[in-house]
Amino acid sequence: MLHLCGKPHFRYSCLMFLVWVFQLVGLNSGFGLDSGLNQSLTYIWPLPCEHTSGNETLTVNPALSLSIIGHGGSFRILREGFRRYKRIIFKFSSGISVSRNSRRIRSLYDISALRIIVKSGSDELKLGVDESYTLFVDKTEGKSIVWETIIEASTIYGALRGLETFSQLCAFDYTTKSVQISRAPWYIKDKPRFAYRGLLLDTSRHHFPVDAIKSIIESMSYAKLILMHFLSRYLHIQNCGMVLTQNGSAIPSRMRVELSGIHVMAEVDVPGHAESWGAGYPDLWPNATCREPLDVTKNFTFDLISGILSEIREIFPFELFHLGGDEVNTDLWASFVLTDCWNKTRHVKQWLDKNKMKPKDAYRYFVLKAQEIAISKNWTPVNWEETFNAFAKNLNPRTVVHNWLGPGVCPKAVAKGFKCIFSNQNVWYLDHLDVSWDEVYYAEPLEGIGNASKQELVIGGEVCMWGETVDTSNVQQTIWPRAAAAAERLWSTEEALSADNNSVLQRLQYFRCLLNRRGVQAAPVTNYYARNPPSGSGSCYWQ
Amino acid sequence: MLLFSLKPHCKLIFLVLLLWVSLLVDSNSGVELDESLTYIWPLPSEFTSGNQTLTVDPALSLFVLGKGGYSNILKEGFERYKKIIFKHASGISLFQKLRGIRSVYDISELRIIVNSDSEELQLGVDESYALFVAKNDGKSIVGEATIEANTVYGALRGLETFSQMCAFDYETKSVQIYKAPWYIKDNPRFAFRGLMLDTSRHYFPIDVIKQIIESMSYAKLNVLHWHIIDEESFPLEVPSYPKLWNGAYTKWERYTVEDASEIVSFAKMRGIHVMAEVDVPGHAESWGAGYPDVWPSSSCREPLDVSKNFTFELISGILSDIRKIFPFELFHLGGDEVHTDCWTSTPHIKQWLNDHNMTAKDAYQYFVLKAQEIAVSKDWTPVNWEETFNSFPSKLNPRTVVHNWLGPGVCPKAVAKGFKCIFSNQGAWYLDHLDVPWNQVYSAEPLEGINNVSEQNLVIGGEVCMWGETADASNVQQTIWPRAAAAAERLWSKREAVSVRNITSTILPRYHYFRCLLNRRGVQAAPATNFYARQPPTGAGSCYEQ
Repeated sequence: MLHLCGKPHFRYSCLMFLVWVFQLVGLNSGFGLDSGLNQSLTYIWPLPCEHTSGNETLTVNPALSLSIIGHGGSFRILREGFRRYKRIIFKFSSGISVSRNSRRIRSLYDISALRIIVKSGSDELKLGVDESYTLFVDKTEGKSIVWETIIEASTIYGALRGLETFSQLCAFDYTTKSVQISRAPWYIKDKPRFAYRGLLLDTSRHHFPVDAIKSIIESMSYAKLILMHFLSRYLHIQNCGMVLTQNGSAIPSRMRVELSGIHVMAEVDVPGHAESWGAGYPDLWPNATCREPLDVTKNFTFDLISGILSEIREIFPFELFHLGGDEVNTDLWASFVLTDCWNKTRHVKQWLDKNKMKPKDAYRYFVLKAQEIAISKNWTPVNWEETFNAFAKNLNPRTVVHNWLGPGVCPKAVAKGFKCIFSNQNVWYLDHLDVSWDEVYYAEPLEGIGNASKQELVIGGEVCMWGETVDTSNVQQTIWPRAAAAAERLWSTEEALSADNNSVLQRLQYFRCLLNRRGVQAAPVTNYYARNPPSGSGSCYWQ
Repeated sequence: MLLFSLKPHCKLIFLVLLLWVSLLVDSNSGVELDESLTYIWPLPSEFTSGNQTLTVDPALSLFVLGKGGYSNILKEGFERYKKIIFKHASGISLFQKLRGIRSVYDISELRIIVNSDSEELQLGVDESYALFVAKNDGKSIVGEATIEANTVYGALRGLETFSQMCAFDYETKSVQIYKAPWYIKDNPRFAFRGLMLDTSRHYFPIDVIKQIIESMSYAKLNVLHWHIIDEESFPLEVPSYPKLWNGAYTKWERYTVEDASEIVSFAKMRGIHVMAEVDVPGHAESWGAGYPDVWPSSSCREPLDVSKNFTFELISGILSDIRKIFPFELFHLGGDEVHTDCWTSTPHIKQWLNDHNMTAKDAYQYFVLKAQEIAVSKDWTPVNWEETFNSFPSKLNPRTVVHNWLGPGVCPKAVAKGFKCIFSNQGAWYLDHLDVPWNQVYSAEPLEGINNVSEQNLVIGGEVCMWGETADASNVQQTIWPRAAAAAERLWSKREAVSVRNITSTILPRYHYFRCLLNRRGVQAAPATNFYARQPPTGAGSCYEQ
């Protein structure tokens, strides 16, 4: 805490602040407007790396202006981001801002300008793009009485993160009917702990309209998640050879996603989970009655994969590409459905025998061949952990291993030099409704990895929203607020993450209400089962 | 059905259509729509359709005629619907515009004729419209779509219908209108088609209320009954009595006067009335957070103290303040579930009752009638929950609108006594009753038991009620939708059209379709056929069959 009250010109402000506090306390009788909100906590989610705050309350001008200082490059993304956040910040006051502005003098507000300094002119959105920023909400030196707010960042994406933090500092005050920043001056220096902070959205079990996907992406940016893992296993393949996802234009356009500073990683899951491909091209099925996995013997199968990847390479510029490869239990392969179809279909069986392969070998052959195709398109392949568990030493060394079955896989993967993504289903599968917010929060991606150089191979983690029981009606409330618990784990430093369950809960409840205010259907935090309705009437801040 | 296929130039289209249909059948492995049904919700009162498929220009322009054509409400409405209609095509429209000639589209202009320039939004405002969509077979090669209405609000309903005809075709990547030419003549069956929202049990942020209002317009609902205050919290700012909103849950869960005005004007832009409710004398404990004097005593807090002048001064002050916000002529005074124990157990009130020679029941009547007088003096027509009618029908102000909720059979009694009535039978139209499946909502008939036409006219409509104990910002939309749509069709469409025998084959596919339409427009409407409302889908599958 910075105590600036010693300086003479601050004394008056401090006095006013005290008066204001007393008024607030005086107003509270019985029904309790303050709801026991602990004022010593910092209500920014996820918690910044370093921050100091003071005791001032500043007002923010609804006509807040933006000035950008930087080296060349396009600042369109930044300007649109500013407009977006301005709408969020001044949602409430819009009704009165105009009349007030005309009546009052501009300088009556403490903060009327936001300055953003961006060092790099590049707007390339790569994995590990520099998202760091510093945010000052402080008084300018010297003559001016206008407060100034500065965001400094290396890239526009860092600046976007800074804008999100700034927007969370701003709160509408119902007494003065203005937007205020309390506990100023603020000094925040922030950067993410992990580069990869993902959310998987499964658009195959249920179709999500474009609007629903856009609002999920928008809400991800509130929690500083950076990657949407977009899964559409059921491909709709048109006669002309064009490939679309089932819903055609449902792939979020590249433009939109860059605007929020969020990567989109596509997944085409092979060779399993691909039965629907045969609706357009039945040749891909081993036979008409046994339809999965894709026929390993035919060149056409790999031609098609190559064709799909070529088509969608242009849509998904992100360097990682997910090739699936999951749910193949190699120990039980003989009895497992996946390899069963290969064994039972005569021409596949003959091919296996001729090539002296067991189904298990053919599975490896298939995955590696798909990896080659992805690499030839200049993609880094990501595969679910089964591929690593089954044939780690054959995998392309650039492979990113995507953990899901349980704990302890990332330690093994990084020990062998692979990069790893943490998604342990016991804690980070959002469709597991019986995992409470704190179990999500306290899951640690680096658990069991002591060596610092190995730790660096864990690029991050991902919460997975599998779609069997979510559709447009309930997906947001299944994602939120638990995804936010993981988001803080992935963004904030381990030291900053409080072990005090109660203070984390208060901050998370506050963030859940923030999501609600922004129109995101985040569910009550403390219900035992996720996405359950509130148990009775009450405030958002304690449910 | 209008068959235009005899004309020579239509034959080609027919052929192409057939080809297209056979392609469609080929590639469709899943759900198929029954093409004989009309996928417009609620069903228009009269319509004919044909067999053509028309394409709609993403640069669709608006051409207005008539005295009311230059209304801002109309212009903004058109822009809103254009965004809805061309959601998908946005990525390619520019490209197509560069490449193609404008006239490759069948419909490039929407003509809207509005006869009246009045934008007054009263109960019973003329919402009728006629909509005509056809490929122009005359001299011009540009086709036409025309909406004609007496008021801008009728034109908005026509725009909604037009938007429901438009569907994005994934094969051609363009917006198409099927079964053209269309001729629709439509008007609502009831003037009052409401949804009640309870912002006391849970606070709904402004954005959420706006989303709800926007979604109401999709189903042509036209009254938001805002149950602002209840015993749990008092979220609204009342400038004359600034301590009232101390009864809010927290300092953030409140509505300023500006917020409330913005909601009213947002609703007006969509042709939706906002009917405010200040429920007295019960359900008002939260008032005492700011003004404990209105509690009978600090330990017995409801109903409001009938013995004090201050109580009625406060009501009058509240009503004066919010009269400026809510221009709608109806105002809801509650009056439900009044348990008078606190009156008889608090000495000074008991004394007052004795002095005035009143029983507790008399005092309840006294309170309600006094509140009615205050509302009437502010030029409001009072609406009261049915308990007031059930207890003292002969004393109620004759202008009172009786709001049914306890069960069936109340509206018949109310209209027999000459009162207007709103139907909200809780067995069918309380949305917080999760165990009422869609078909029961759909089949509830506001005019049941009323045969006399002049009495039928006194039923101004009905309302579905979204009580807020277990609905908050996270799940309110999926509790409202899609069941509110079932009531919406009952309230809009002709009785013959909605009273069909086999609703599973005739109505359900349309109901599914409308639910998916809501989803596409970003409304979290829940699966249609789960037994309990707002349950998650039972497994993977299409929106059109869940």
